[in-house]
Amino acid sequence: MPKKIPLIELSNIVKEYPIGDNEVYRALDGIDLTIHEGEFVAIMGPSGSGKSTLMHILGALDIPTKGNFILKKKNISSYTEDQLAEIRNREIGFVFQSFNLLPRTTVQKNVEKPMIYAGISQKERTERALAALEKVGIAEKAGNLSNRISGGQIQRVAIARALVMNPSIILADEPTGNLDSKTSHEIMKFIEELNNDGKTIIIITHEHDIAAFAKRVIKLVDGKIVSDRENGKKLNGI
Amino acid sequence: MEYKEIFISAVQALKINKMRTSLTMLGIIIGITAVILIYSIGQGAVKFITDELASFGTDYFQINPGSSQLSAIAGSTSLTFDDLEAIRNDTSLTNIRNIAPFAMTSVKVQANDEEDEYLIYGSTHEAVEIFRPEMVYGDFLTEEQTLGSEKVAVIGTKVSENFFGENTNPVGETIRINNRIYRITGMLNSSSALAGGFLNNSLFIPIDAVTNEIVGEERLQEIDISVYDQNSINQTIEDVEALLRDQHNLDEDDENDFQISSAQDILSTVQTITGLLTAMIVGISGISLVVGGVGVMNIMLVSVTERTKEIGLLKAIGAKQKDILTQFLMESVVMTLLGGLMGILLGTTGAYAISKIANIPFVVSIPAILIAVGVSTLVGIVFGLYPARRAARLSPIDALRYE
Repeated sequence: MPKKIPLIELSNIVKEYPIGDNEVYRALDGIDLTIHEGEFVAIMGPSGSGKSTLMHILGALDIPTKGNFILKKKNISSYTEDQLAEIRNREIGFVFQSFNLLPRTTVQKNVEKPMIYAGISQKERTERALAALEKVGIAEKAGNLSNRISGGQIQRVAIARALVMNPSIILADEPTGNLDSKTSHEIMKFIEELNNDGKTIIIITHEHDIAAFAKRVIKLVDGKIVSDRENGKKLNGI
Repeated sequence: MEYKEIFISAVQALKINKMRTSLTMLGIIIGITAVILIYSIGQGAVKFITDELASFGTDYFQINPGSSQLSAIAGSTSLTFDDLEAIRNDTSLTNIRNIAPFAMTSVKVQANDEEDEYLIYGSTHEAVEIFRPEMVYGDFLTEEQTLGSEKVAVIGTKVSENFFGENTNPVGETIRINNRIYRITGMLNSSSALAGGFLNNSLFIPIDAVTNEIVGEERLQEIDISVYDQNSINQTIEDVEALLRDQHNLDEDDENDFQISSAQDILSTVQTITGLLTAMIVGISGISLVVGGVGVMNIMLVSVTERTKEIGLLKAIGAKQKDILTQFLMESVVMTLLGGLMGILLGTTGAYAISKIANIPFVVSIPAILIAVGVSTLVGIVFGLYPARRAARLSPIDALRYE
């Protein structure tokens, strides 16, 4: 493991959803989790295990019912919607499974979008967007409309957009779910390289061969962490 | 977030559904077109009347016999030469500049072996000061001619064309009016669209010739009075009214047996009518704008639902509630404002075309255009606010999960 700087500290996170009048469904049941800078973590679990809910909390898309979420020494568990928006804008780069890009908008405009919300000037936006597209190896598609590029290219553009604000975490939710195995492998290789450069990566997946790229694998069942181990070179035991 | 960016995104979003956007804008286009069109034509009509009255001058008023406008035509005899003399001789009426009496009748006129019926104005030399016609040939009736009741006639340009042909000087020719021979001493032309119609089609002869020889009765159809000071014209009208009531021995509770009307009365009548018409059309257009606005709201709600996932994505990458709100509000405002601008263009073009056809002045009202721009923007904000707030308040997870 690299330097021990805690980036994320979840303590006793509980997330409940109301179902019916007096009943609640507990999606997360006391999660304690610390993620350090530079880690590559895969969160696994069957459907209904709470991995999506955990992704929402980690991505500052939602706040926990109970417990504390400390991100870069700030407790964001009770942030307002707009404060969370700012955290998402500056600290988290999302890569989703599908619907990553705005339709009928150019690739470059898509990558510029987070910078627009951050109030960055047009000149700097263009420079940074082109540099990010260069980095994911798709600079020549900058002027293309987002619905005129392939699935693998879409995920690369999404990664470029995730990187452009230089966030603390790249949060990828089933990023290869819609891709063929060859393209999946390419994308995962690329994400691995980003981690080698020092980016903190959290990936949500139910596929073992995707999780295999991560250095740490966390397994969730019924809203609880049932296993948290280093991946290393030994892949047995999951 | 920059407004330029929001604007560009809004235009892009609206372009995706061109047909839907255009149909939604239609309500706004119709409303604004109607307002601009009617307002512009109304203003044109007022300007037309104002210009007409200004060519006569707003410094005069007229007295007709009878208690209503029509009784003069019906042959009311309540206005007499005695009344005329009474006004002339009242030294307290210092504001009066000219008094012109008129006795009118319609008779057969012959010249060059042709015969037609025309309106004959019996008047005095003072009529020229009131009508201010252009004398194409010769002169108007002189004081000498009217006092001596000479057999002279001044004819309108249309009358001259009929008997003697176009571009012919009729001065010196003779004409038979009611079987008596008159010498033509002048030809007049009035370019006024309102008055030209009858002035150019009439003949003017000394007043006594009409009352003594044609009608055989000393009655007047009209007395026109012009004043020195326009601002005190209403005072002069009141004084003349009092004098005539006295002349006619009317009791306090008797109604006038004559009518006094001034150019300003006519102008204010026209303004009242145009004002009412404009208010009515503005009201109807207001309904059209509300209906249009509801259409905008409906389409924006559909758009918010359709783009729920997009809203989720934008929220995930850092859009705040305000950003989403402005984005959707911008779309509805762009839609209504564009509709408004098209309405202004259509309304103005339509008003121009109608002004050409109806031969009235073309008036572009800058305040009306500015109000139209303001109103269409307001419709966009008012009816776009609810859908935009709904979009802004969507929870990011619900929006991302939406299928």
